[in-house]
Amino acid sequence: MEKVLTTPVSAPKSDEEVGNGMTKREARKIRMRNMNKQEIAYMRRSRLFGIVWPIFRFFILFGLCFVIVYPLIYMISCAFRAPEDMSDPTVMWIPRTLTLEVIQETMEVMNFWSTLGTTVFLNVGCSLVQVASCAVAGYGFARFKFKGRGLLFGIVVLMILVPTQVISIPQYMLFRYFGPFNLINTPLCMYLPAAMGVGIRSGLMIFIFRQFFKGLPKELEDAAYLDGCGPFKTFIKVMIPNAKSSFLTVFLFSVVWYWNDYYVSSTFFTKNQTVALMLKNLSTLLSQTLFNNADVSPREQIVWMEAGCLLAIAPILIMYVFLQKHFTEGIERSGLVG
Amino acid sequence: MKMGYEKRKSMYGYGFIALWFVGALVFFLIPLVQSFLYSFQDIRPDTGGMVGGWVGLEKYNYALNVDPNYRQYLVSVLQTTLWKTPLILVFSLFVAVILNQKFKGRTFARAVFFLPVIIATGPVFNIINGNMASTGNSDASQFSTMFSTDLLGELMEFLGIYGISDGVQQTIETISENIFGIVWNAGIQILMFLAALQNIPASAKEAAQIEGATAWEYFWKITLPNVSSMILACFIFTIIDSFTDPNNSVMGRIGDLQMDWKYGEASAMAWIYFAIVLLAVGIVTVIVNKFVYYEVD
Repeated sequence: MEKVLTTPVSAPKSDEEVGNGMTKREARKIRMRNMNKQEIAYMRRSRLFGIVWPIFRFFILFGLCFVIVYPLIYMISCAFRAPEDMSDPTVMWIPRTLTLEVIQETMEVMNFWSTLGTTVFLNVGCSLVQVASCAVAGYGFARFKFKGRGLLFGIVVLMILVPTQVISIPQYMLFRYFGPFNLINTPLCMYLPAAMGVGIRSGLMIFIFRQFFKGLPKELEDAAYLDGCGPFKTFIKVMIPNAKSSFLTVFLFSVVWYWNDYYVSSTFFTKNQTVALMLKNLSTLLSQTLFNNADVSPREQIVWMEAGCLLAIAPILIMYVFLQKHFTEGIERSGLVG
Repeated sequence: MKMGYEKRKSMYGYGFIALWFVGALVFFLIPLVQSFLYSFQDIRPDTGGMVGGWVGLEKYNYALNVDPNYRQYLVSVLQTTLWKTPLILVFSLFVAVILNQKFKGRTFARAVFFLPVIIATGPVFNIINGNMASTGNSDASQFSTMFSTDLLGELMEFLGIYGISDGVQQTIETISENIFGIVWNAGIQILMFLAALQNIPASAKEAAQIEGATAWEYFWKITLPNVSSMILACFIFTIIDSFTDPNNSVMGRIGDLQMDWKYGEASAMAWIYFAIVLLAVGIVTVIVNKFVYYEVD
């Protein structure tokens, strides 16, 4: 007995070994000898599960990923084919004639580059000011006690709940007769609400920021206060650097929501100025400018529609590919967890 | 002038939310009240603003009893939300649990699953959905066209549940036909559940392993209680997302009426709709809150 204890355990020499010259299989046998029936059953079950589950999981994930990626593949496949290929029964995925013509035509119809310019200008600008204003408001709600805080936060929740459609008409009238000015069709009617924390889905963003700042340790600020920092300086110098990843995630959300929005922008813009609006009205635009009101079968029209989709999502898709890591990993630290 | 520390801090609090408050007042609260008032008026635009006379509840009567489509749309949107919401929740929790495990290609899988968050909210979704449906490429049939078989039917036959009861079969078929919509609407929910899953303390998992819990038991005893507070959040988010989706038929009807300058009717419809949304969210909150488990800190 003592002899066994004093023998030093030799290190495993290969992957197959666990030490003392035993293979994994032998070691398991010895362990199994000391187990009762229930334990053995449990071991068997978990081993079986460990083998079957990854296979099962692979199929589930593969299938679901397919459902998600499928439209993208379809989009790409359609956008680069000639319209005639749509009616060709032999063409399923790979077009018979590869062509860039459809893309070029769609770009012309959508007036792509100038539209893209306006959209980016609106989009990125609005997102930036929105994130800033929502962060400030969220911080106020998270860290300061003041009278009526519950009631005011109720307004934030109400902002999440009220559909935009309910308030779109009064908002239109507000911007149409904004004092002596008519702000309809100017970027201001997107910028003003965003800058004051009432833009698209601002309620949700204030909520996220509040949850996030609540989660940060209080000591951070107390230290800054003791050193003589005012609350605003503390916010800028201490809190913002700590909330970087959260800021990035919310900013990405904001960009995506502004990019995809067409309801709000169609209320305030009578001309098609953003990519989403262009896309919404693409079929009308196509028949007016490209087909000269001639009859093109709906099946063939798909080619241009899909090309339009591809053009519209390409910019954010590229952005997503680059920032994907922050988007999917950063969310875990973004304060969505209360 | 000297103020107490607490008082000064609360003043700073007002300072932080002041900008938002002014914005909310001008761009949110006042329009909200205005639209409520519009719904009782015969409203039309005029230079300088809206003019109209009081007509009482006439517009509400119009929305519910006269308009040929509104009630029908309302019922259909409610129905869709009713059966889709639980499905989206179960699905997103399931996917989040899988994506939380360690395996090769996890980063890729995650990136793919969050892709809909980027694309699905815009008009792109409608177009691809519509285009694929018109070429027989959407939903479950996309597999069928690929493998040129009725995959779903065969699977059900294989499992021995083909034709057991029409009800079951119909449910399965509806679900499979809508899998596209469900997968594409679950992005944010998956994200939220994943965040909650990552907050489960490692000690809980370890304890469960030592006690010999099966994966099934682990899910019910550890995972579910820990994400239950997120279930409420996801529930509400899903309901609101579905109700406020500019693509649903009620929203479409309201938009059409606005185009026709029938602002009174549109406002009345929007408010009826909003009242229903509030009611739904309220009911869900009360019910789900009973089952939510809050860790006592």
